[in-house]
Amino acid sequence: MEFDEIQDVLERLIGVMDARKLDELEIEVEGLKVALRRGGRGGDSPAVVVAHAGAHPAVPMPAAPAAPGGTPAEGEGEGEGLHIVSSPMVGTFYRSPAPDADPFVDVGDEVTPDTVLCIIEAMKVMNELKAEVAGVVQAVRAEDREAVEYGQPLFVIARPSA
Amino acid sequence: MFSRILVACRGEIALRIMRACRELGIETVAVYSQADAEMVYLDFADASICIGPGESSQSYLNIPHIIAAAEVADVDAIHPGYGFLAEVAQFAEVCRDCHIEFIGPSAEALRLMGNKVAARNLARKCGAPVVPGSEGPIDSEDQARTTAREIGFPVMIKAASGGGGRGMRRANNEMTLLSHMAIARSEAEAAFGDPSVYIEKVVERARHVEVQVLADQRGRVVHLGERDCSLQRRHQKLIEEAPCPVITPKLRRRLGDDAVRIAAAADYVGAGTVEFLVDPDNNYYFIEMNCRIQVEHPVTEMVTGIDIVKEQIRVAAGERLSFRQEDVKIQGAAIECRINAEDPSNDFKPCPGLITRFYAPGGPGVRVDTHAHGGYRIPPNYDSLIAKLIVHRRNREEARVCMRRALEEFVIDGVKTTIPLYLEVFGHSAFVSGRVDTTFIENLERDH
Repeated sequence: MEFDEIQDVLERLIGVMDARKLDELEIEVEGLKVALRRGGRGGDSPAVVVAHAGAHPAVPMPAAPAAPGGTPAEGEGEGEGLHIVSSPMVGTFYRSPAPDADPFVDVGDEVTPDTVLCIIEAMKVMNELKAEVAGVVQAVRAEDREAVEYGQPLFVIARPSA
Repeated sequence: MFSRILVACRGEIALRIMRACRELGIETVAVYSQADAEMVYLDFADASICIGPGESSQSYLNIPHIIAAAEVADVDAIHPGYGFLAEVAQFAEVCRDCHIEFIGPSAEALRLMGNKVAARNLARKCGAPVVPGSEGPIDSEDQARTTAREIGFPVMIKAASGGGGRGMRRANNEMTLLSHMAIARSEAEAAFGDPSVYIEKVVERARHVEVQVLADQRGRVVHLGERDCSLQRRHQKLIEEAPCPVITPKLRRRLGDDAVRIAAAADYVGAGTVEFLVDPDNNYYFIEMNCRIQVEHPVTEMVTGIDIVKEQIRVAAGERLSFRQEDVKIQGAAIECRINAEDPSNDFKPCPGLITRFYAPGGPGVRVDTHAHGGYRIPPNYDSLIAKLIVHRRNREEARVCMRRALEEFVIDGVKTTIPLYLEVFGHSAFVSGRVDTTFIENLERDH
């Protein structure tokens, strides 16, 4: 199951929980087990716990667990949300500040809202894209130097529990 | 010739441009907002790029996003279609600065003709009659009163940066003149960023007759005959036809010659339309020039056999027009209906929503330009035009009968459309005799 499909499934399930005023919901589909529990961060939205049961994890595993409470892939974390950073513009996506430099971020890196994740170049202007959330980089969805469009998913950031 | 063109618009005109590109062997790059992500024609483009959310200001009107898309897709030219950025001089300039060809006139011509006062002055200099009115923008209440008295009431207060039937207010007498002017100025400021207004005499029971022009970069300017677009509602065209059924050959020649002269004086390049009003005594007056491909261009294409969009692309690429003025022949009669998703029995309220069934007419003489289909969800963010139904037959009466037949065959379920109104128009005796003017549709509404 692709990550986009997981995101879609999660949103639908959260919608179901809200609509039916459920406190807990567990579902297993195509090797993906999802457990949702309300009240993870004191808010109204259910907290999300995602577990892998199949042979093909859809979400790339970080090299080492870096977030407090474990990684979502192991199903141990409490109320971790997955935030997708999508492109706010059309342009060329650069992972590094310069051609020979290291990428701004890699999978597994911790980020704060002000961390620069990448550059999107449009009309000769280099626009820095900030994370806007705190968490751990779970996945990079675009290739270096790829032409990206508005709304295209670029990074997946796992947000820590409160 | 260009190898790749970005189509910077949406809906039926985006598809129209892509069709011309395809036939010219040019690759197409379509841009779309998130509200248009399901458009079927995106699959026909060689590439498509999402440029923003549904709101036009952040997508189809977003110059940086569109230019960025043009750059990542490495296009040679941008075709702006109509609406959105088609007549925005600044956009033409940005294209030029980025070495991307803008398929349309120069930024200077757009600025000149975009200022309706300057356009009137240019037309007057070319010897074309203009609607009696103020020489320039109205700067004071005294000037307003004096001008209105000179030309006589009723008058039309028009925004200098308006056009296309927008930013106009009528004043029937001196008592309402100043208050309407104040309203018109603030409306103009809000809509166009420029509060200047000018005044014209109202031409009663006028017909709206416009001339299609084409100009290349080698100085050749030709006209493709006129269109009659008198069937309007609130200054928005609903039904158009070519040729105009009631003008004399002499008047036809004069309209064409004046239109060519005006376009040439503006150093115009590309496709444009010079608009006139014709009164019941066959006096004609220039009102404005539109510097874009127009919605109703198909009726001219049908009667002349000329592909106007292809010519636009050719002249933008530096080629000469593929024909001369003497080659232009008008054959038969063509009529177009703009099928809008609006409820004619409810003040033409727009009806976005899901089209559950869509069956377009066909057969001899029928052309349908549309982006819609069964299963298409009309987004609420844009105008309500969902299809153009065009017919072309040997003469006007046959075209009228064909249009009626085609309208009866057109099935669009799930949303309300203006088809029922048009069925009424095409059976009406006034239309049959060609004796309609710009008040016809609204009178029909009132009679219900």
